[in-house]
Amino acid sequence: MEGGKDAGIRRGLGSYFRLLGAFGRFSLNREMAFRGNFLMKVLLEVVWLGILLLFFHTIFRNTSRIEGWNEYQYLFFLGCYYALEGLIETLFLENCVEFGELVRTGNLDFFLLKPIDEQFLLSFRHIDWSTAPKILIGGALMGFGLWELAEPVTLARLGGFLVALASGIAMAYSFLLMLASTAIWMVRNQSLMELWWLFSSLMRYPRDIYEEPWAVLIQKVFTFLLPALLVVSVPAEAMVRILEPAILGWTICAGFMMLLASRWVFRKAIRSYRSASS
Amino acid sequence: MSSVPALPAFRPAGVLGAARKYLRIFRVSLVERLAYRADFLLGTVLRFLPLVTSVLLWSAVYRGSGNDTIEGYTCRQVIAYLLLVHVSRMFSSMPGLASGIAREIREGTVKRYLVQPLDLQAHLLAYRAAHKVAYIVTSVLPYAILFWLMRGYFEWPGEPMVWGAWLASLLLGFLLGYLMEFALGLLGFWFLEISSFLYLVNTVSFFLSGHLMPLDLFGGRMAMFLKELPFQYLAYFPASVILGRESTESMVRGLLVECGWCLAFFVVGRIALRFGLRRFSAFGG
Repeated sequence: MEGGKDAGIRRGLGSYFRLLGAFGRFSLNREMAFRGNFLMKVLLEVVWLGILLLFFHTIFRNTSRIEGWNEYQYLFFLGCYYALEGLIETLFLENCVEFGELVRTGNLDFFLLKPIDEQFLLSFRHIDWSTAPKILIGGALMGFGLWELAEPVTLARLGGFLVALASGIAMAYSFLLMLASTAIWMVRNQSLMELWWLFSSLMRYPRDIYEEPWAVLIQKVFTFLLPALLVVSVPAEAMVRILEPAILGWTICAGFMMLLASRWVFRKAIRSYRSASS
Repeated sequence: MSSVPALPAFRPAGVLGAARKYLRIFRVSLVERLAYRADFLLGTVLRFLPLVTSVLLWSAVYRGSGNDTIEGYTCRQVIAYLLLVHVSRMFSSMPGLASGIAREIREGTVKRYLVQPLDLQAHLLAYRAAHKVAYIVTSVLPYAILFWLMRGYFEWPGEPMVWGAWLASLLLGFLLGYLMEFALGLLGFWFLEISSFLYLVNTVSFFLSGHLMPLDLFGGRMAMFLKELPFQYLAYFPASVILGRESTESMVRGLLVECGWCLAFFVVGRIALRFGLRRFSAFGG
């Protein structure tokens, strides 16, 4: 059945890109219908960034390093965190939150009937443009950090950074998708946002701060079992600190495994979906 | 309105009658809230996790600085402070209050306060007090465990007066938080949609109240300025009192100024409510 559908209506990669473009345009139109709201949300992100910068500026007035990260390295880390979170929020967060609602109302039926991969359709349906400026702000912060560090960016560092960043995005997305998929069995998953928040609060600081004896267990669990600590730390380390092949390798590996696991969970969830209608 | 004869059963019998009325609202709301205690517990547990990362971050900051104190705070005091602001916010935070008022105004349901012998400000206060009691009662256990686990970070003051001042500052913090949010919500009389504005105010308040770090750490003029604002009473001030960082004089002064802010926001709320209701037009039947 599955094979038949795939073989019969398999589209080229081009149609996926075209569809993605259409989603983007449609979402942008929708967002622009409420321009004031859009500007307010962007303003909020800027205010929040200002608070964060003031926070870390205050800290770095009193210390020159946090576990080996100096101020500009840390700024790079912060930019990386900001950009990555912005990307996840722009592309996936809203879609994953709405997935539960589709299951509850039974509207998921319409999406399953469409001749395109369900996971693609449900993951990219809405693009939340109001959080997209975070990606730019994060990029600017990273650029500023690199500029102030004034160290040459080697090809190896850049490559390591990009690969680790892609793996980080894969991990964060997979975690969200797995959380969203549980909606099929639980119908209501209000804790999704809270669990996502937990995941993102683990990404927020460099993994080096978990070196304390009592925190080693936390570090191990969130490095090897649910690798939230790698998501931002490893790409930032690759660019502005030490490029450690072992941890980079594990990050890539973990990204792949989580992607496969989330795909498996999603498919399993869809297979056990029963529509809401009588 | 004056042409509607008041039913005898609803006629408030003086102050005592009014008190009884709002006490009943308090009780009903309390029962309603306690129905969702499992939700509370999960929420509380999840709220502790960022605390773990904060402890780690500040330990790393102090290790990096090589100093024992920053702006007069030891590392243990900063961590104790970060825990104590949670207690402050437990009293002073009012999730959904302003947006709820704005929604009632927008949808017109606020008109019931025109026909029922209820005062909007007093009714919502009783309702919120019940929420707070339910919230605090259900969070006592997880917080007690947390404080016990982290007992090494605390040096509790011996003088009963400090404890009394702490309690007073927490209760006043609740009142101030309520009155500020209430006044904000009344903006709904003048603006149709204020939810993103409220979100912005909340974010700024999170910072100004000292939830992020002790206000003193900003140093110099910045810290002095932040301590002139009413926001500090929502998080910073109570924590600073129980940490024993306030002299008797500054404690008394702080509590008096806080009372002043409460009065100011109470008056602002009354005036805004009066003018707001005058321009309010309810729709629908």
